[in-house]
Amino acid sequence: MNDILKLIANCVENGKIDRNTPYPPGMKGQDGADELTRLALDSGIKPEQILDGALVPAMAVVGDKFSRKEIYVPQMLMSAKAMNGAMKHLKPYFSTGETKRKGKVIIGTVAGDLHDIGKNLVAMMIEGGGWEVIDLGVDVSSEKFLKTIDENPGAFIGLSALLTTTMENMKKTVAAIREKHSGLKILVGGAPVTKEYCERIGADFYSPDPQGAVNYLKQFAE
Amino acid sequence: MNDSTFKFEFSDLNLDVRQIEMVMGYREGESHEAISDLIAGALIDAESFCELKAEYRIFSGIEFNPSEKSVKIAGLEFSLKKIVFGQLRKSESMAVFLSTAGEKIGEMSRKAMKDGDLLQGYIYDVIGSEAADGASALMQEKLKMAAEMEGLRITNRYSPGYCDWNVDEQHKLFHLMKDNFCGITVNSSALMSPEKSVSGFIGIGREVRFNKYTCGLCDMKDCIYRKIR
Ligand code: B1M
Repeated sequence: MNDILKLIANCVENGKIDRNTPYPPGMKGQDGADELTRLALDSGIKPEQILDGALVPAMAVVGDKFSRKEIYVPQMLMSAKAMNGAMKHLKPYFSTGETKRKGKVIIGTVAGDLHDIGKNLVAMMIEGGGWEVIDLGVDVSSEKFLKTIDENPGAFIGLSALLTTTMENMKKTVAAIREKHSGLKILVGGAPVTKEYCERIGADFYSPDPQGAVNYLKQFAE
Repeated sequence: MNDSTFKFEFSDLNLDVRQIEMVMGYREGESHEAISDLIAGALIDAESFCELKAEYRIFSGIEFNPSEKSVKIAGLEFSLKKIVFGQLRKSESMAVFLSTAGEKIGEMSRKAMKDGDLLQGYIYDVIGSEAADGASALMQEKLKMAAEMEGLRITNRYSPGYCDWNVDEQHKLFHLMKDNFCGITVNSSALMSPEKSVSGFIGIGREVRFNKYTCGLCDMKDCIYRKIR
C-alpha cells in the first residue's frame, strides 16, 4: 500500500480527524485524515484509490474490532468522524460521477419507531464500506421506501426497529417492497430482531451489528 | 399509601464518567481518554438538558389469575407472562409508574447527530437512557420508604416489553396513567414519547420479595446491561 494511503488508514482507525485532533497522544500535532487526503489528491492519487485503498479497509478493521468487542461504539464513531474528514474531499468526485461508489443503500427506521442510534451507526459503517447511503430517517412509511426505491432502482434496503411492536411494521414494509420489487435485497436489524424473524418475514439478511451488514453487501459491490 | 409525583435533580442520580463508560461496554480497567473527557463534558451539559420526573399511582383490590399468569387492575387485565407474574403474584396492591428524563436530552442527541457529530449524539443518548432509568430507581426508593412506613415491602420494578411481557400492554398501562404528571404519551406501536421514558409495575405487600434482576432469565444474550448488572 502507498505510504500516504497507509497514513490515512491509520488516522481513520485511530480517529485522528485533522491536525487539531489531540488524540491519539502519539499523533498530536500531526496531519490527520483531512489534511492527508487533500495531500494525496493534490499529489495525483485517484479518489477511488483513497476510498478503496485507505478508507474502506480502515473502516473494515474498525467494524471487525467492534464485532469482536475489542472496541466499543464511541471509538467506532471517532473513526467515522475521521473518515468523514477524508470523505469531504472525495464527495465532489462522487457527485460529478467521476468516482463511483459500490452502489446505493436506502436505510431507515420503520414506521411507528423513532429510535435512530442503531440505524445511524449502520448507515455510517455502510458509507465507510464505500456505498452511497440514502438515509430516510425514522418513522419511515412503506410508501416512502417504495418511492425512494423507484427513484433509485437496484438499491439495497436496510430496515431497523427497536421494539417487537415496531418490528411488525418491518414485516409490512418487507411485504410491500416484495410485492413491487421481488428481487431487491433487504437487510434487517435492531434489538428485538433475530435471524429467525428475518427469515419469517422474507427479508434477505439479518445482522446483529453494522459490520455484518457491510460484509454481506460486499458480494454485490459493483 | 398515596399516589405521588416527583421531580428530581440530575445531581441526585450521581452519574459519573465510569458508569456511562460501563454502559457503553468498557470493562473494568478499560477506558479511552478522549472519550472520558467528552463524557465528562456531556454530563455537565446534561444537568440542564435532563428534566427528571416520575410518578406512581397505587391500585389496590388487584386480582391475580395464576392459570392465565395475569393480573386485573382497575378492571384491566394485564397478561404478565410467567417470569413477571412469578415476581409480582404475592402483591396486595400495585404501584403503576412512569419516569422520564424529558424531551430535551433526546433532542440534543438528535441535533448533534444531524449536525454530523454522531459521537456527541451517542454520548447524550446513553446519558439520557441512564437518567430515565435512574429516575425510576429514585422513585422506587421513595416508594420503598413509603411502604416501609406502613410495614410493607416492595418488589423490583417490571416493565412491559421485558421478560416476554408484551410491550403492547403499555396501552392499558397508560389507561391507568391518564394525564400523567410526566407528560409521557404512547403511540400506536407502544413507543413512548419522550423516548427516554420508562413504564412499569412495582408490587407492594407483606409477603413480596425484592429480587435483583437476573439476566439469565432473558433471551437477549448481547444486551449491554447483561455485562454490567
Ligand atoms: C439494516 O441492517 C441493520 C443491521 C444491524 C442493525 C440495524 C439494521 N439496526 C440496528 N442494528 C444493530 O446495530 C446497532 C449497533 O450495534 C445496534 O442498534 P441498537 O439500536 O440496538 O443499539 C444502540 C446502538 C444501543 N442500544 C440501545 O440504545 C438500546 C439498549 C437497551 C438496553 C435499551 C435501553 C438503553 C433503553 N430502554 Co429499552 N432498551 C432495550 C435495549 C436492549 C439491548 N441490549 O439492545 C430494549 C430495546 N428495550 C426494551 C423495552 C421493552 C423498553 N425499553 C424502554 C426504555 C429504555 C430506556 C429509556 C431505559 C433506554 C433508552 C431507550 C431508547 N429508545 O432510547 C421502554 C421503551 C421506551 C420508549 N421510548 O418507548 C421499554 C418498552 C420498557 C418500558 N415499558 O418502559 C426491549 C424491547 C423488547 C421488546 N419487547 O420490544 C429491549 C430489547 C430490552 C430487553 N432486554 O428486552 C444493533 O441492533
